[in-house]
Amino acid sequence: MAVIEIQNLTYTYPATSHPALREVSLTVEAGEFVAIIGPNGAGKSTLCYTLAGFIPHFFKGELQGEVRVAGQDIRRVRLEDWVLKVGLVFQNPFNQISGAKFTVYEEIAFGLENIGVPREEMKRRVEEVMALTGIEDLADRSPYALSGGQQQRVALASILVMQPEVLVLDEPTSQLDPIGTREVFQVIRRLAHQGVTIIMAEHKVEWIAEYADRVIALAEGRVIGTGTPADVLTDPRLPDYGIGISRYTAVARRAAGEGLWPAERRLPVTLDEAEAGFRAVEEAHAHLH
Amino acid sequence: MVERLSFYLERSSPLHRLNPTTKLVVAFTLILVAFLGPGLLLPSLIFLLILTPLSFVGQVGREFLRTTVRLLLPLFAFLFVMQSLFYPGGKTVLFGFWIFSVKLEGVRFAFLTATRVLVMVSSFLLLLFTTHPGVLLLDLTQRGLPASVAYILASTLQIIPQMQAKAATILDAQRSRGLDTSGSLGRRIRALLPLVGPLVFGSLVDVEERAIAIEARGFRSSRPKTSLVEIEDRPLERALRWLCLLAIILALGSRLWP
Repeated sequence: MAVIEIQNLTYTYPATSHPALREVSLTVEAGEFVAIIGPNGAGKSTLCYTLAGFIPHFFKGELQGEVRVAGQDIRRVRLEDWVLKVGLVFQNPFNQISGAKFTVYEEIAFGLENIGVPREEMKRRVEEVMALTGIEDLADRSPYALSGGQQQRVALASILVMQPEVLVLDEPTSQLDPIGTREVFQVIRRLAHQGVTIIMAEHKVEWIAEYADRVIALAEGRVIGTGTPADVLTDPRLPDYGIGISRYTAVARRAAGEGLWPAERRLPVTLDEAEAGFRAVEEAHAHLH
Repeated sequence: MVERLSFYLERSSPLHRLNPTTKLVVAFTLILVAFLGPGLLLPSLIFLLILTPLSFVGQVGREFLRTTVRLLLPLFAFLFVMQSLFYPGGKTVLFGFWIFSVKLEGVRFAFLTATRVLVMVSSFLLLLFTTHPGVLLLDLTQRGLPASVAYILASTLQIIPQMQAKAATILDAQRSRGLDTSGSLGRRIRALLPLVGPLVFGSLVDVEERAIAIEARGFRSSRPKTSLVEIEDRPLERALRWLCLLAIILALGSRLWP
């Protein structure tokens, strides 16, 4: 069943002349983990904001086309209710801390207080997501006294605790160091295994190649490619659009130029695929001699 | 990086367990009685016989006395010198030296003003030492303070240290590229100007993201809110608050019909 259906979406921010998204059409199935790649300014954040309802309800501007999430027209929903259906986590971990609460535990409970969840259920749900995101030991710390990776997991837990049907992540690791990035991706993989529908804008293609079910590439507001990570991430046009490619793909492409990659084999996107390819080349050489 | 957010000192004392509103009401009552009530000694008695013992009940006595003295000593010294020498209408000269003379009326006025200020500052200090700001705000919200006002107060408490840290970072960045922030007062003030732009505009950008973040947490949800923490309010405390009201009325009465 398709959870997200977008038909010919064109959106222009207020006081700008060029659309941020142009005739975007895509569908996402329930339980799918879809990564959105594209250079800066391609419209990734705009797409995330649209799914989460902040476009057109927070940023006004002009929206054309059809956006349906969980069967509902995004234009007809009320933002204050919509946040229960679609959860949004964005780049800056620091700005996602509410500032209203003094400990991590209270910070995660903040959303549940706002939507009127009874106290016992609140505690159960808060403790559940703290275990899921691996931040139990931070419960009594100030949410401001944490590392970026810890803060981003608190932000993620604060949204997950509201049990949204769809989780939208807008470059959640772009301001994190490699350790923070791994911490966040591990949580996201756990969620994907649990069957949460995840839409994630992300630059780090090595991680996408490992985790995502499907990749959508955006450039200048248009969809320029969609398919499995292996198909989209090895698309030779990506560098022309300013989209980074996996270092495994880059190495294999250079090797292929010198005849050192098996001709029939697709270029690799993960370390394992690269290793398998180069071993095949090695064996072929061994046979020759 | 995060400094202390408030005066709050964590202890497990009966004073800490009191309902925050009770403490707030008692603090206001003591202040009003000190300012309205009769007699020269009333405010000092309130400080010595009520506030100081209470601070030891709350296990914050040492911090309470130390902070009070540090905050008020300079003010009091100034007050006594000025008032005892220059109080208008002072007649009874206690002693004189050179061209100055210390007058009894001035000393009395200085003493009364100083002890009233002492009650005002120290009762709030005691409230802040023994009450977590989050709990105080939560209690006030449950008594009808709008959630948005409580949010503004709580987030201000938390964001000020963050802003200070950010200002320090910007200043360091500018210094490392040769901005001179030492020297005369005028030069120091001029050196602050380049700080204003990045700090203010950066904060404005943050405000939009912060608005999105709390919106995403259902802050504007129309459902009735619940709260994680339950705040106790015993019947005895309610009675105490009515007693406070009575004390205020009595103090007011003593002022109107002496």
